[in-house]
Amino acid sequence: MNLLDIDSLTLELPNGTRLLDGISITVAKGETVGLVGESGSGKSLTARSVLGLLPERATMGGQVLLEGEDSLRVSQQRLSELRRHSASMVFQDPRAGINPMRTVGEHLTETLRLCEHLPAEQARQRGIEMLKAVRLPRPEQHLKQYPHEFSGGMLQRVMIAGALISSPKLLICDEPTTALDVTTQAEIIAVLTEQAKSRGMGMLFITHDLNLAASLCDRVYVMSQGRVVEQGSAQGVFSAPQAEYTRKLVAATPTVAVDPAAEVAAARPVAVAATADRAGALRARAVSKTYTIRGQAPVRAVQDVSLEVSKGAALGVVGESGSGKSTLARIVVGLESADAGEILIAGKERTKAPRRRAERLAHARSAQMVFQDPYLSLDPRITAGHAIEDALKLHSKLSTLDSRNRVLELLDQVGMTGKHAQARPRTLSGGQRQCVAIARALAIEPDLLVMDEATSALDVSVQAQVLDVVAEIRRERGLTVLFISHDLAVVRRVCEETVVMRHGEIVEHGRTLELLGNPQHPYTRLLLDSVPRPAWNREVAVQSAT
Amino acid sequence: MTAQTLTAKELKAPRLGGFGITFTVSVAVLLLMTVAAIFAPIIAPYDPNEVDFMAVHSGPSMAHWLGTDSLGRDLLSRMIFGARTALLGPLLVVVSSTVLGILLGVLAAWRGGWVDAVLARLFDVIFSFPSLLIAIMAVALFGKGLIAPVIAMSIAYAPYVARLTRSLVASERHRPYVAAYRVQGFSGWWIALRRVLPNVAPIVGAQSTLNFGYVLAELAGLSFLGLGVQAPAADWGAMINESQAGLVGGHFLPAIVPAIAVVIAVVAVNIIGEELSDRIGGEIPA
Repeated sequence: MNLLDIDSLTLELPNGTRLLDGISITVAKGETVGLVGESGSGKSLTARSVLGLLPERATMGGQVLLEGEDSLRVSQQRLSELRRHSASMVFQDPRAGINPMRTVGEHLTETLRLCEHLPAEQARQRGIEMLKAVRLPRPEQHLKQYPHEFSGGMLQRVMIAGALISSPKLLICDEPTTALDVTTQAEIIAVLTEQAKSRGMGMLFITHDLNLAASLCDRVYVMSQGRVVEQGSAQGVFSAPQAEYTRKLVAATPTVAVDPAAEVAAARPVAVAATADRAGALRARAVSKTYTIRGQAPVRAVQDVSLEVSKGAALGVVGESGSGKSTLARIVVGLESADAGEILIAGKERTKAPRRRAERLAHARSAQMVFQDPYLSLDPRITAGHAIEDALKLHSKLSTLDSRNRVLELLDQVGMTGKHAQARPRTLSGGQRQCVAIARALAIEPDLLVMDEATSALDVSVQAQVLDVVAEIRRERGLTVLFISHDLAVVRRVCEETVVMRHGEIVEHGRTLELLGNPQHPYTRLLLDSVPRPAWNREVAVQSAT
Repeated sequence: MTAQTLTAKELKAPRLGGFGITFTVSVAVLLLMTVAAIFAPIIAPYDPNEVDFMAVHSGPSMAHWLGTDSLGRDLLSRMIFGARTALLGPLLVVVSSTVLGILLGVLAAWRGGWVDAVLARLFDVIFSFPSLLIAIMAVALFGKGLIAPVIAMSIAYAPYVARLTRSLVASERHRPYVAAYRVQGFSGWWIALRRVLPNVAPIVGAQSTLNFGYVLAELAGLSFLGLGVQAPAADWGAMINESQAGLVGGHFLPAIVPAIAVVIAVVAVNIIGEELSDRIGGEIPA
């Protein structure tokens, strides 16, 4: 008997929308199974149905057998038993899943004391054991700490400890590392695999990241729009995908593996001939920025950063959260002033945040920015066309008719139509919104386009489309791009040159392919090693790296 | 993950159309009062100040539907004319307090720093006085009538609007779309007034609608105390005041009719305000 046996599961909302359609998934004891798909594919809903966490008023069909018991139909009491002993879950955002007013110790020992009636001291000992098992450095001390004292990665380990403390047979992980840095992700994954192995525990791992699934799972299921479109061994699915959708997904997924033979076929950075203009589009010299908050040690967000981007080139800035890459972007576009150093864009001094009207407009024409979150960086009340028109009218003296036509031109450039001009942001998809943001930036015809994690919030296939749009525009207009990202694989797709930042400093600088293939700085190597790779590829990658 | 958000959204989808019966009735009542106030001279059967000593304290009859008061004046006509000051006063207060409050709120949120701190303390000071007390002080200084209390209450109610606007604008201010406008080169004030303010305006509007009800009741109270609209002008508060003597003689109608009018108006406005703020609350841009 399988540990988990989901058989033709369907889920329907009262209005008739079918969110899950005939899902069948099995997880055997000790097996790690991946559930891969893009947002809206129903992968989270499927996983949640195992623990009976269902949307209100939804109609369910099929069955979800957890250790032979149908969790859709058992009594509330029995369901609680299943949740206590058979399966537990780790969610994406650890901070949303823990009570901020209670200590980590209370969080961990609560279930033991309530459900297994362990005395306080014994529960505490188990808590300490579990914190040790997830490799937190000071278990005794951590028990007395509050969630806000932990970083995201440490808190996720606490959540894993909490999920494992009742010794479940099945652990469901719903995108447990999506909000974390890549080095932290690698540590968490190591903890999870180690625990799964030592306990002989089954694991259902939900992720949108194909590489991660490939590096971790024995078998995978690929989901799209509420259906399982493909299943099989991880290697089989990813190296020889059968379904159309899987093929598209695999093709859209960027990778860091540098394989000279595949280099011709793989999507390569657009080679835009650097013009003779040696002045460079962006030149930063010894830029520094320190934040001082009263009563706290000053935070040196950017330290002595120098970089140069020649006209028409794309420079990637890679770093983890807190590396100062976003601060650098904000200084370049004039949202912040640098404390020291100098920034020249197309030969003009742009070091300070602009104040007067003329300065503001000049700075805007020097650098434009595309922000990370397409859901927040567009004004919710303003239609796409109007947003672009606003920018046009501020910077040019076009008549209303001319600017309307220009709006259509710009939308066309980013692959959208006049129909989208009338649309409010909430009716557009994430990728479309990001394209509107790009069109809006292009309306001003800037010397430099800064993209701050501009594709991080998007699904891989949408990300690929947006990157294609950017590549197309670069080819046509020779646009200079400063591309900021945490994702080495994406940077590799866009940028010829890359700098790696850590703690506000540049630790390595070089051509992207050389940097990925032959990293010099230990931190760059750590970053690269942390990027998940398919298990069967790992040896090849290590060989080519050395 | 996103499937979850999607479901949650569909289940919580705002009820489009399908206004509740109470809401519809409230709107109808308020419309009726407004129409009555505007067309009072046409609608009212008598002149509100026409004295008829032959019909003092007459009960409801065909000639006088709601009866007459101690001077034989037709209560229905006085009610209809009374709606004019009853609605005009709060309207003036709500409009001026909203304009003042929005300007101060945006100023506090956008400038921050010492401007914010000074304004916050100023609002605290105004909050510490009951609005009725401020109105009475204004009457003591500038004399009786409608103007002095209206100005005083505009000032007293502005901080409610200002505090709400401040917190809304302050949270909008840190959204990426505002940074995006800045990067495009727009001035801070343009962003604040032309782009951020319209995004928060519906919520502020709902708060102001609620204020309308409170102000209506308080102005009626002021007239009742003899500090607002002066007799013999028809005003609901003043009418209750004038009919006090009659209560001893068992003539309840001249007091109860305007009192019920005040209650109905305030309840109607509050229902509308609550409904609006509920609906708009769900529409706050995420």
